[in-house]
Amino acid sequence: MTHRSVLRGLLFASPWIVGFVIFQLVPIVASAYFSLTNFNLFQDPQFVGLRNYQRLAGDELFWKSLTNTLYLTVIGVPVSLTAALCAALALNMRVRGQSLFRLFVFLPTVVPVVAATYIWRWLLNAQYGYVNQALGTVGLGQPLWLDDPFWTKPALILMSLWVTGSAMVVFLAALQDVPDMYYEAAVIDGAGPWAKFRYVTLPLISPVILFETIIASIFTLQYFTQAFLLGQTRLNAASGGPENSLLVYGLYVFQQAFVNLNMGYASAMAWVLLFVALAGTFVLLRVSRNRVFYGGD
Amino acid sequence: MRSATAATLTAVITAAVVAVAACSSSATPPPAGSAGSAPVASSPASVGPSTAPAEKVTVNFPYLWGGPEGEALEKVIAAFNSSQNGITVKGASSPDFQKQLASMSGSNGFDISDNFGSTVGSWASKGILEPLDGYMASGGFDTTDFVPTALQSNQYQGKTYALPIAVHTLLLMYNKKMFADAGIAAPPTTTSELQADIAKLTKVDTSGNITQFGMRSPDYLTLAYAFGGKWYDDQGNPTPDDAGNLAALHFWVDNVVKKYGADKIKKFESGYGEYASAQNPFYTGKAAMTLDGEWQPVFIKQYAPNLDWGVVAIPYPDGQTSLGGATQLTSSMFFIPKNAPHKQEAWEFLKYLTGPAAMTQFSHALGNLPARTSLLGDPVYNDLPQFNVWLDSLKSPNLRIFASLPSTAEYQKDLADEFQLVANLQDTPEAGMAKVKAKAANYSQ
Repeated sequence: MTHRSVLRGLLFASPWIVGFVIFQLVPIVASAYFSLTNFNLFQDPQFVGLRNYQRLAGDELFWKSLTNTLYLTVIGVPVSLTAALCAALALNMRVRGQSLFRLFVFLPTVVPVVAATYIWRWLLNAQYGYVNQALGTVGLGQPLWLDDPFWTKPALILMSLWVTGSAMVVFLAALQDVPDMYYEAAVIDGAGPWAKFRYVTLPLISPVILFETIIASIFTLQYFTQAFLLGQTRLNAASGGPENSLLVYGLYVFQQAFVNLNMGYASAMAWVLLFVALAGTFVLLRVSRNRVFYGGD
Repeated sequence: MRSATAATLTAVITAAVVAVAACSSSATPPPAGSAGSAPVASSPASVGPSTAPAEKVTVNFPYLWGGPEGEALEKVIAAFNSSQNGITVKGASSPDFQKQLASMSGSNGFDISDNFGSTVGSWASKGILEPLDGYMASGGFDTTDFVPTALQSNQYQGKTYALPIAVHTLLLMYNKKMFADAGIAAPPTTTSELQADIAKLTKVDTSGNITQFGMRSPDYLTLAYAFGGKWYDDQGNPTPDDAGNLAALHFWVDNVVKKYGADKIKKFESGYGEYASAQNPFYTGKAAMTLDGEWQPVFIKQYAPNLDWGVVAIPYPDGQTSLGGATQLTSSMFFIPKNAPHKQEAWEFLKYLTGPAAMTQFSHALGNLPARTSLLGDPVYNDLPQFNVWLDSLKSPNLRIFASLPSTAEYQKDLADEFQLVANLQDTPEAGMAKVKAKAANYSQ
């Protein structure tokens, strides 16, 4: 590669490079510096070394928010991805009106999240919401979804089941990529529907499942909007919900940054979350190493 | 893939947190505004084509209000614009606290905006707000007409940083029909009468479920004032474990929560409808009493016109008449940020806004209390039912404010968290308030 072609390449890539430096690299470096300071947004930051990180260790709300977010990640992600996979399997069956069914499952995904959450707030009301009315008709318990600290996070997971459309579409594409000949061979070997799924489908779509798991986990670690809106007691107040059971990590970062104006502390929290995400991704890749089958290998 | 996800993640999280921070780091506050007139010629705040004469200055005024309240404010703005030739105020509804904060951290922001008095301490201590004392002195602006506590809630360390347009107090509202049905002749004046009335007005079915509640769970900050409590001492140190505060919490926990059960109360209150709607539990008769504010006459006219209701001062502890009329005052105020391009013009508008005429017009339209003593007897408020009881509450010697200090927001948040645990019987009032006191030791000053 000549000197000139390198320059030319850089020139063509420059819109991205400039954008990356200004909007990503500089803020990232700045937040690393702010995390070592006391900074309230308005006055000059004072350098305090690692004190923000030390304070985090003793901050019970930090641990509470981390636990809340990990709850949603460790329980919520598998539940919603399983739902998405089931939906994809069902919608992969060749029946009349197939595309119509696909449309219905995907439709909630395009509803703006704020509007959808307000509808859920009303659906989940313990006394007059439709969810509890439905549970009552079939004789099940009627939890205080939005008022009982035990039930608020299951309520969030329930809401997430409604918007599995994007993961479902990816799974559907993966399912259609599985060559029919494998199923034919399996049937000849005497495989039933479960065995076909377990020994043909699942291994062949496992890279897609891993990818979706990592992406969904990272999104869930940044969870904010729905918890903010469900916990909201009055406009613009960032409440953590009953006994802070809805205080997800992103919400606590927001409270520290914009309510308490502790921007340095909030930056330290953002960096801790980055390392949590890195560690989680590393573990996921490690654990899945022998369980994911890449067709090209 | 590992590095790709890491990069995405870093970008998304840190960009969100830092976007505002980064743009402020270069911002140096402009030199302290002198009170003299200094129209800033070099920085036009609006870039739109100016049809106005060249010498006219545009004052940018984004406000947090919206809907009917925003419309009322627009009328005041229009009246100001036509009252003089030098200044055009451009109002815009912008109900977003974070946006307001962010524009004050840049080098060039808006000229004037609104918030609550409780933010003054935090913002003033960080140098965000323009002190108004110089403007007031040079313009001969008289502040003695302001309700003293209202003005005080907009001051920090002896300086005035904002001026109130409207103030708010909570009083005890009660449902007259439910009182009559329960055979109660008069609303309670003492806390033991309140306790007895709650008992008479609360109905429970055979399985212990509440079907009607004597009183909606109160605002504990305000209830504490009725018991002679205080949340800060005179030096500005948090005093969550003050004896009066504990007495207020015990009143509610011992007489109501323990009697009916924390779970039963939670279950009943989970069925409350949205506050600003016809499903408000006080309008529907789910709760017979509530501590609520002076905007209720306007709300009730809109959402529950047939409700038969009354309002009285918050009851005082038996025998302690000196505590009568205690309540909490909060204020809605206007301020000029340090980075405002047109401070002198913004001050002219601020003067107009908080003057008697505009204040009457605005507070009456919203059904809020005026912040000037001379307006408390104004007949214009006569068309708001029972509004006079709230007007009178401003004359009480026991009118309290939650001090506006750098730690106020954090302190109120910690108190709110702990009130939940106390009301659920997970902490005793003593243990709960001791926890808040321990946290308060770490507040940044």
